[in-house]
Amino acid sequence: MAELSVIGASHRTAPVEVRERLALAPDQAARVLAAMHAETTFDEAMLVSTCNRTEVYFVPRAATDPLAYVLDHVGRVKGARPEVDAEAFYRHDETDAVRHLFRVAASLDSQIVGEHEILGQVKDAYRLAVDARTTSALLNKLVHWAFRVGKRVRTETDLGAGSASVAAAAVDLARHIFSNLEGKTVLLVGAGQTAETAARALLRTGADRLIVANRTLYRGQQLAHDLAHMPADGGEGDAEAARRPPAADAVGLDAIGEAITKADLVITATDAAEPVLTWQALSDVLRARRSALLIVDIAVPRDVDARLGDLDNVYLYNIDDLDRLVERNLERRRLETPKAEAIVAQEVRQFNRWLASRRAAPTIRLLQKHLETIRTRQIERYAKQFSDADCTQLEQFTQSMCKQVLHAPLDMLKRLSTDATPSKRLAAVDLVRQLFDLDAIDDEQPR
Amino acid sequence: MLGQPRPAETPYSVTARRGIISGERPVRFHARRDRGVIGCEKGNAMADLLAIGNWLLPLLYLALLVDYGTTFFLRTRTEARSPWLGVAVAAHLVYLVVRGVHLGYPPVTSAQEIASVLALTTAGVYAWVELASRDRRTGVFVLLLAFLFQYTSSMLLAGRVAEASEITPGAVGVWARLHVVPALVAYTALGFAGVYGLLYLLEHRGLRRRRFGVLFDRLPPLEVLEPMAWHALLTGFVAMTVAIAAGPLLLQAEGGEMTTKVLTKIITGSVAWVVCAVAVLGHWVGKWPASRTSAIAVVGFLVVMALMIVSGLLS
Repeated sequence: MAELSVIGASHRTAPVEVRERLALAPDQAARVLAAMHAETTFDEAMLVSTCNRTEVYFVPRAATDPLAYVLDHVGRVKGARPEVDAEAFYRHDETDAVRHLFRVAASLDSQIVGEHEILGQVKDAYRLAVDARTTSALLNKLVHWAFRVGKRVRTETDLGAGSASVAAAAVDLARHIFSNLEGKTVLLVGAGQTAETAARALLRTGADRLIVANRTLYRGQQLAHDLAHMPADGGEGDAEAARRPPAADAVGLDAIGEAITKADLVITATDAAEPVLTWQALSDVLRARRSALLIVDIAVPRDVDARLGDLDNVYLYNIDDLDRLVERNLERRRLETPKAEAIVAQEVRQFNRWLASRRAAPTIRLLQKHLETIRTRQIERYAKQFSDADCTQLEQFTQSMCKQVLHAPLDMLKRLSTDATPSKRLAAVDLVRQLFDLDAIDDEQPR
Repeated sequence: MLGQPRPAETPYSVTARRGIISGERPVRFHARRDRGVIGCEKGNAMADLLAIGNWLLPLLYLALLVDYGTTFFLRTRTEARSPWLGVAVAAHLVYLVVRGVHLGYPPVTSAQEIASVLALTTAGVYAWVELASRDRRTGVFVLLLAFLFQYTSSMLLAGRVAEASEITPGAVGVWARLHVVPALVAYTALGFAGVYGLLYLLEHRGLRRRRFGVLFDRLPPLEVLEPMAWHALLTGFVAMTVAIAAGPLLLQAEGGEMTTKVLTKIITGSVAWVVCAVAVLGHWVGKWPASRTSAIAVVGFLVVMALMIVSGLLS
């Protein structure tokens, strides 16, 4: 029986209609974990459920079919057991499971490689598991190690650099023009879904004033209200969560000329057949302004007269420009993948080395060696005070004493190596190593 | 007289040093040699120190350039502080102080000496900017300037770093200080305006032409670059105005002789002032866009650099 496994379905193995049957909301995931905690099938478990994957990392206790077990639990909280082909699932054991989690945390296994949300999602999953008390020594260590891998990949490679969606590309462009989006005003022209997503991204990044210009004023007001009261971004958006909501206002399309004088960023996405931001209406207004204006035109056909982009302080981009930026960033991320994979491989090797050190046999050997070193050192120190005959006796006496001292812990470690679950063994070995500071001694050993 | 061979027995004298605005004839200053055996040994040690500093400083700036270039192009440690910039600035300051003590006058009397001081002020001001902004992305461009200044100075001084320049007493007097210090500030500021103006134009054009390349990724936003260039221009304008106002008084103190060297300095300073003035007026009165002000800063900086090189060659 494997000590650590992962079983699940992701965008690599299952289409969206399968994934949505398996996806669990946080409260559902918490209920599944609580049920698992009450039973004895898994010694440890963590459930990661996002729109692209549902997977369970577990340390098995009893020999059972983990897939059937997990599906049963998912079925219980969702009302019916999801009917999914076994082919939609993958299972990795031991080192492969470790590598899988590290790749997930590093965003190498994501649909959009390098995306930033996954690390926060794994953190949320871990928090749920800790709350449900389904983690112990092995998963605690593994998941924290995975966080470190995720951060390392993010800081040491360009895997997450640049924007990978139209909304993120708009934010990316804004960051190249403005030093800080705080205090900036976003003018949203039209109430289309893409424009709304881009506006959300800009508001999350710091823009704190919003004007929605829409043909139907009521719809504009509704959207302005929704955007002003949108929930704070989860994941790692700590500081953003504490930010006060943006001031939001709505105007009709006829008031764009006045609204644009207050705006620093404009996002347009109407379904109008003719340009909404015309040269005749806006050229004089925009020529007179001194600060930069970023206009992102996501609409097809375009909403903005291209000649406005020739004005000195105006930076105008259409959907093709954003697509090119996104494509270029994705290509850059692809080029960074080998570097990230190398980091993951290195960390997997280190984790395995740590795991091997937590087995009973090497710990027993190290403990014996440690006590023998102490004994020999003390004998050498006090040998001059004894005669040769006494020294022999002293040697025998100390050897016997060390054996007596070691008897109970060694016996416990031996028993744990055969009888205990991996998590219990790991916790016990960890305790022994900490008590005798064996890790420090182990580091001094030649590898 | 200028250009006469230095009499070996002439010591550096306080009298000569103090007779600055009394209309005395120009004196050739040189290192102190009247201190007996110990003084002589100290003098030699200082000369050795200066020789070492003269070749070490360009290397230090080159090393910094490589470090900052790596940061910029490989996108590493953009927010990390490096102690080496501080070390280079401190070493440079020590070098100039030692040189000043050894020669007995502030080392700002020749083109090569001024180039070295400009390298120091450029690196020093940038160190302050980096400390305040915690961003070292533009360092490679500014330090390239510092390196070029110091390299030029070191090359021109090679082999005679401990030798004194031929200067008039007026060149170390109060009017000289009132002229030289603001002029140095102005040229340093113009250097910054040129560098940050160029970076602004690169980013601005990259954004307008949708060139999403390395510079697009690495350069700070326009809203950071534009005020840097603008404040540098404004500083340059104010400082150069003071320097130009003190210029005629210094010339009078030095005897009023209009040599080629003086003429090139006047032309260079005037051009620098006109550049700054045009840009400042354009920004304030003409409401020019930042791209135009930046373009003027870049062109002005290049012209002034060219004039400084010509001035250096002529002197």
